[in-house]
Amino acid sequence: MNKNTIRKLVSAGLLIVLILVFTISSDYFLTFNNFMEIFRDASIVGIIGIGVTMVILTAGIDLSTGSIMALTGMTMANIYRYTLLPIWAMILAGIFVAILAGLFNGLMITKFSLPEFIATLSTMSIFRALTYIISIKQNGLITSQALKARSFITLGKSSGGIYYVIMVFVLMAVIGQVILKYTRFGTYLYGVGSNRKAAQLSGINTDRTRALAYMITGFCAGIAAVFMTARLQSTTALLGEGMEFNVIAAVVVGGCSLSGGRGDIIGTLIGAIFMATLDNGIYKFQINTAYQLIIKGMIIICVVAFDSWYNNFMDEISRDKKLKGVTGE
Amino acid sequence: MSQEIILEVKDINKSFFGVQVLHKVNLEVRKGEVHALMGENGAGKSTLIKIITGAYTKDEGKIFWKGKEVEMNSLKDCQALGMACIYQELSVIPALSVAQNIYLGREPKRGKTGLIHYKKMNQMAQELIDKYEFPLKATDMVDSLSIGLRQLVEILKGLSSNSQLLIMDEPTASLSAKEASILFQIIDSLRKQEVSIIYISHRLEEVYRLSDRLTILRDGRNAAVLEREEIRPKEVIQTMIGKVVDESAGSKKTLTQNTKEAALKVEGLTRKGFFEKVSFEVRRGEILGFGGLIGAGRTEVMRCLYGADKYQSGKIWIEGKEYIPTSPKKSIAFGFGFVPEDRRGQGFIPLLSMNRNMALTNYDIIKQMAFSISSKEEVDMCEKMIKKMDIRPADPQKQVGLMSGGNQQKVVIGKWLVRNLKILIVDEPTAGIDVGAKDEIYHILEELAAKGVVVILVSSDLQELVRVSHRILVMRKGKIVKELAEGTITQADILEAASGIESQEEVAG
Repeated sequence: MNKNTIRKLVSAGLLIVLILVFTISSDYFLTFNNFMEIFRDASIVGIIGIGVTMVILTAGIDLSTGSIMALTGMTMANIYRYTLLPIWAMILAGIFVAILAGLFNGLMITKFSLPEFIATLSTMSIFRALTYIISIKQNGLITSQALKARSFITLGKSSGGIYYVIMVFVLMAVIGQVILKYTRFGTYLYGVGSNRKAAQLSGINTDRTRALAYMITGFCAGIAAVFMTARLQSTTALLGEGMEFNVIAAVVVGGCSLSGGRGDIIGTLIGAIFMATLDNGIYKFQINTAYQLIIKGMIIICVVAFDSWYNNFMDEISRDKKLKGVTGE
Repeated sequence: MSQEIILEVKDINKSFFGVQVLHKVNLEVRKGEVHALMGENGAGKSTLIKIITGAYTKDEGKIFWKGKEVEMNSLKDCQALGMACIYQELSVIPALSVAQNIYLGREPKRGKTGLIHYKKMNQMAQELIDKYEFPLKATDMVDSLSIGLRQLVEILKGLSSNSQLLIMDEPTASLSAKEASILFQIIDSLRKQEVSIIYISHRLEEVYRLSDRLTILRDGRNAAVLEREEIRPKEVIQTMIGKVVDESAGSKKTLTQNTKEAALKVEGLTRKGFFEKVSFEVRRGEILGFGGLIGAGRTEVMRCLYGADKYQSGKIWIEGKEYIPTSPKKSIAFGFGFVPEDRRGQGFIPLLSMNRNMALTNYDIIKQMAFSISSKEEVDMCEKMIKKMDIRPADPQKQVGLMSGGNQQKVVIGKWLVRNLKILIVDEPTAGIDVGAKDEIYHILEELAAKGVVVILVSSDLQELVRVSHRILVMRKGKIVKELAEGTITQADILEAASGIESQEEVAG
């Protein structure tokens, strides 16, 4: 069996263990409604995770996704309040701004050769600050801004017990996985992350590939913002704060290597459900939020430590096999 | 071979920062010929190739492809014409499969969907692999392949686009002898199919074996263009470097036993998955050569000896006392020196100056003033080494990353020479280094041995092994399979033992 497949089974196994623990310790955990809630939360993280998976595959990182969400939300709120544009136009404008934000990240990183970490750390605060600037103030105070158009808030609802955001997430995940595995762009993402110089020598436009990954991430963050604000029926300047942490955690738990070239959307899907389950379970246990963050932090540390051990271990095994194989000829 | 000229490069000039590196260089490649390009490091080979492939722009001159003048602005231009370049540094992508690597950027698609047709792609790749009988599968992931096999993937990539001209830059640098001989067969069959090849190599015997014509560059100028029958080893070397080196030394040699007591004794050393029950002795003042194919476990044994990796069982004695290597730090303090195989990656720190690089392993012997290190002493030490090793440029502040390969290696070796060395381990010390610098490095090793230092030389260059070593051990698949200690030995002896021709019976029994 392929080493990446085993790695994914490990993530899935972890998730099952987590679900079992919560099921045993709480009667309210294993119910249809609660699960739909978990999937709904996982979908927001997961949608952004699709883009971030692509970015991390290229050995990059995007810390600005939470801020892009806020910027998208506030853009829509402004259009909603001050113009007569239809709702679909408002949504498109929001997503357009998100894509622009992603493009900005991509250009900073490729055209100005900024390290991914620094570029997106900077835009994380720039996009958040822009959100504050365009946020609507009342008596000098920034307030939560209502987005109550009927057609809009429907997006936050469900059909047959399944939230629309879950359907969108599944659809996007399938498309994302197909892009990764069956298109040139997907192959390029792996190539750029695994050996950028080689990719360049093979005639791949590595800058365009990388910039595109950030744009897709921007798009994903925009979509996530639409569904999040539709459910909240409002937006604030604080929307999506700390989201980048959850997303990166989900992607890493799903088996993406931060050094690039390894991972896929299925892994991220498992990771997103894992993080949402953890949040949900901790909430049901009524554990203090501070501990919640400690637990999440520890989980990332453990997963990354496991990955580095696991990779050495698998390398050792394959080397063992090779040596045995040849001496036994 | 026809007389038709496929590529003609005329009067190329190129300067970097006001320093002219190419002076009116010409190169003419005929259809279906293997055209070797030789020259010492810094002679301008790489620059010329980069201009041909569009990686650099030329200052002056013209490039003609099949008689028509062309402008090369990017790699894509060069690929579009039907040229492919196989690089010295591996440019395959570990995360992808063999087929994905071969067809990267040219994947066959399923109709108009934009989706990659994997079945077709794998089939195409497998056909290509079968055609040249490479030991690969189209669906193998590259990160599970050895370095040698990865190189074959690289070559397949070049072959897959029906190129009419292949440029090979030191293609055998990381290949084992067996893999290299497969490559030579491939080159021969490509020649028959009228594919032209520009072949760049430091390994002279390969050039003699393969090339139809030879262009020699020296100091950025055309030094000579020779037809096959005009290629004479000694003259070629003289043309390249302008001084006389005895190349014939190193094809065979008569060895005699050194009878001094063992200074280093290794018994039953085992690291699981890498090597098993390795035992050997080295005497004081001896240069012990380690031959074998890439992946035979030589480097791994050396790393364990030096304390860089852990081993599971076995014992090591130095001068009669048991020695347990636990860390490089301990080994250095004890009197070890180690010149690693991967010079650029492990040998030095490219961004640091020469004196800093040399000081790095020697801070324990540089005088400390209060809490700071005496920079005067650091520079003094470096200058002594520069003189001793004849390092150019003789500037202690020069960043090592900017120096030529030969001089870099001199820095790596030099930093050990200031110490009171007992054992020096050198792993592929002259890979990719020009003939002149090679010679100087051999002299240094010989001098050290004469002073009583134990020198262990790991090398895949047979000529070097025979020429420098006093005794040769050959490893194969993690075991020592042969000792060549007495009598006349030849390169062929090593090769046979390394590739397992001799041990056939043993395996059968």
